[in-house]
Amino acid sequence: MILGGFRRLREFGVLGMNFRNAGYIMAYNARSAFPLVDDKVQTKRLAEKFGIPIPELYYVVENHGSIAGLPGVLEHLGEFVVKPARGSGGSGIILIKGRMEEGFVTQSGKIMSKEDFNYHIASILSGIFSLEGGEDAAIIEALIHPDPVFNSVTYQEGVPDVRIIVYKGVPVMAMVRLPTEASDGKANLHRGAIGAGIDLGSGITLNAVHKSRIVQIHPDTKNPVNGIHLPHWDKLLMTASEAMEMTGLGYLGADFVLDRDRGPVLLELNARPGLAIQMANQSGLRIRLDKTDRALPAVFLTAASRVAWAKENFMHGIDSVVSGSRNL
Amino acid sequence: MRHILLHKAFLPRGHPEMRRPGFLPAAALFLLTCILVLYRILWLGYPVLPVAKGQTWQLLVNVYVTPKDEQSSLSLALPSELIGNMVVEERVLSGMYAFYIQTQGPNRFGVWSGAGVDRPEEIQYRATIHSLPRRSVAIQSPLLGPFPPTMNREEQSLAEGVTMKWQALAPMIRFQAVVAALKSARGDSPPSDEVFRRWQVVQQKHDPTDAALALFRAANLPARSVEGLRLAEGVQILPTKWIEVWVDRSWGHLNPETWEVYPSPAALLPLAVGGFPVVKVTGGELSDIRWTITRQVVSQWKLFYEHIARSAHFLDRWSLLQLPQEFQGTFRILLLVPIGALIISLLRNVVGLPTFGIFMPLLIALAFRNTGTVYGVGIFCGVLLVGYAARSFLDKLHLLLVPRLSVILTLVIFCFTVLALVGNKLGLRELMAVGLIPFVILTMTIERFFILIEESGVGEAFRAAVGSVGVSVITYGIISWEPLQLTFFVYPELVLTVAALQILLGRYTGYRLSELYRFRDLKGTS
Repeated sequence: MILGGFRRLREFGVLGMNFRNAGYIMAYNARSAFPLVDDKVQTKRLAEKFGIPIPELYYVVENHGSIAGLPGVLEHLGEFVVKPARGSGGSGIILIKGRMEEGFVTQSGKIMSKEDFNYHIASILSGIFSLEGGEDAAIIEALIHPDPVFNSVTYQEGVPDVRIIVYKGVPVMAMVRLPTEASDGKANLHRGAIGAGIDLGSGITLNAVHKSRIVQIHPDTKNPVNGIHLPHWDKLLMTASEAMEMTGLGYLGADFVLDRDRGPVLLELNARPGLAIQMANQSGLRIRLDKTDRALPAVFLTAASRVAWAKENFMHGIDSVVSGSRNL
Repeated sequence: MRHILLHKAFLPRGHPEMRRPGFLPAAALFLLTCILVLYRILWLGYPVLPVAKGQTWQLLVNVYVTPKDEQSSLSLALPSELIGNMVVEERVLSGMYAFYIQTQGPNRFGVWSGAGVDRPEEIQYRATIHSLPRRSVAIQSPLLGPFPPTMNREEQSLAEGVTMKWQALAPMIRFQAVVAALKSARGDSPPSDEVFRRWQVVQQKHDPTDAALALFRAANLPARSVEGLRLAEGVQILPTKWIEVWVDRSWGHLNPETWEVYPSPAALLPLAVGGFPVVKVTGGELSDIRWTITRQVVSQWKLFYEHIARSAHFLDRWSLLQLPQEFQGTFRILLLVPIGALIISLLRNVVGLPTFGIFMPLLIALAFRNTGTVYGVGIFCGVLLVGYAARSFLDKLHLLLVPRLSVILTLVIFCFTVLALVGNKLGLRELMAVGLIPFVILTMTIERFFILIEESGVGEAFRAAVGSVGVSVITYGIISWEPLQLTFFVYPELVLTVAALQILLGRYTGYRLSELYRFRDLKGTS
């Protein structure tokens, strides 16, 4: 029964955790490149160099001493985001929408006193949200105004983001992560956000995964998650594809937000992207990764050629044809 | 240009699924293990199956001596290696007395001596004895001893007269003829009636043992009187006497009361050979003595190896068995810890069971050795929950990381203290041993547990907690399994094979069991 289950997963081309680690992350992601993506400050500097749009970086708090100087920096900012530079899973992020006499107004409308705000910065610096628990820096960056395209399937003021898996510079799979009430407005699947697959060929959403089950409607808004046409789809794929050249990582996840005014904005890169995207797309990654391995060298020449190849080869439904023929 | 270069590095040549760079080192480690184990078995004569044959007994001697003089001493015959049983472990409780061991021929005597006290002095001796059924002790035949000193010249020549006609017979026949004579029966080729009648008188006059020894001496059969114990469970207050006669290259055992031959000499435990008393007190009075014999229940493996450790010729000098006893215990456990790590790897990478931290369950498992599993798990869960409640409260105080962890650490120590005190009141050693649980690990676990509940929900956190405790219990079960401990202790090179397995597991790129559940909705048919 167990072996049968394993065989079935294999036939569907599901990528498991062990093979992702040994076969892709360890094989194609140089350890030296990890800091580029683990530290958001470095990612931002790199993206700026490559002309990739990012949320504007206002200020980096690097030590407890500079917390005192923060009010001067924040004085001119009406709205901004505070996040840990080395955070993971969306923890430690606070969105500030405005300010009042008593303190800052957060996204959800709560008021955060200056003391609480400073405590939060200090917590970030002491590494509570950091990947390895070491010292960290706090980033003050521009607030994103999400494109209204996902309004019907987003809980309140949450910000949906688009995750694209890029293998050898080829975008192989994508999903949009939609915040829910359970995820507290955060776009993280393990916190209860839902992830809707995206047809790579057209940029139209498919069904979604919610806690490893397939759903067709958003649990809070009850609107269907599929059939939404993502704007700037080619631009998204192109930018994701360029992330390979930018970082040298052969297997990465690129996270974008669609800004109302600026279009796709790169939020962060991930050298160990998760596997739930396969559920969202109802499709195994292995099939697509193997297919990419077999592509002609010419495909890999430019980001444009890689995107064009990916759109053609990873069109929705094409995998099942492949795996179906395998079964014969 | 840059793109092409990058791409070349990414070419699927030697795709990880195809090559197995872990196989060679694993095979090398396995081979090394085999070589070392074979070396020990073939060159150093280690047993292939480390199971000891024979039986194991626990001997307890309680002696009460009431001193009468200024100086009193007790001499007690102790079981000896030279006689035919392996003495595996000995403990002596000397009380006020000084103790030393005196060797006399094949005998060992424990001598307790000291200044007299007016009340009875208790002396205790404890030994674990391993008796091997077919262990030839002396290969060379023993020398013929003198006649017993109680026999005068005339009686000696009378004994010679009785046995005169038997001198040409084979030793076995001679032996049977002497036994028959001792039973006052006239067997084949008997001596003259006159000689026999006179001998009967002599035999009645003397101690039967002395009479028997004289006849065997006269018949040219080496013989000796032995005092010892019957190897059977129970309390004995008098030692057993028997006569050992050298016939056909082995000792026959003769009962001096019935003149029957003991069918199973292994049922006897010799203590003093050659007429020495088993117990002798000078300057005092023997108030009480009893020998208690019980069947030993501990694994016979243990005995075997502890014996090896003491016999210099049998063993590689580089064996862990040469370590002082107090350090050996540590290594018995340490050598099994890699297996625990292997199990953790297995559970995480093949089963997909989450645990707090990587080696945390290992450390908890080590602590279980003192607290036991039931109390260990109870303490772990209890402190975790108390810690969680405290951590939730601390969250409102907005403490910085390090001071916050310090507070939890203090709480953990406080919980330990309370548990130890409660354990003391209830007389539960398991609770008092709480201090051996690694408190730093528990502190970090509380923090992780809290963060996991906050970030991933209660379900995930409980899965990790159950996973951790489960791995701890399994690991404890393995590291406390004695046969495995001893196997690894005697063949420490086996850890290399464990490392080989770890390497192979490190190359496992298949699915995890948990992924069957995780991807259960993935039908691949949409």
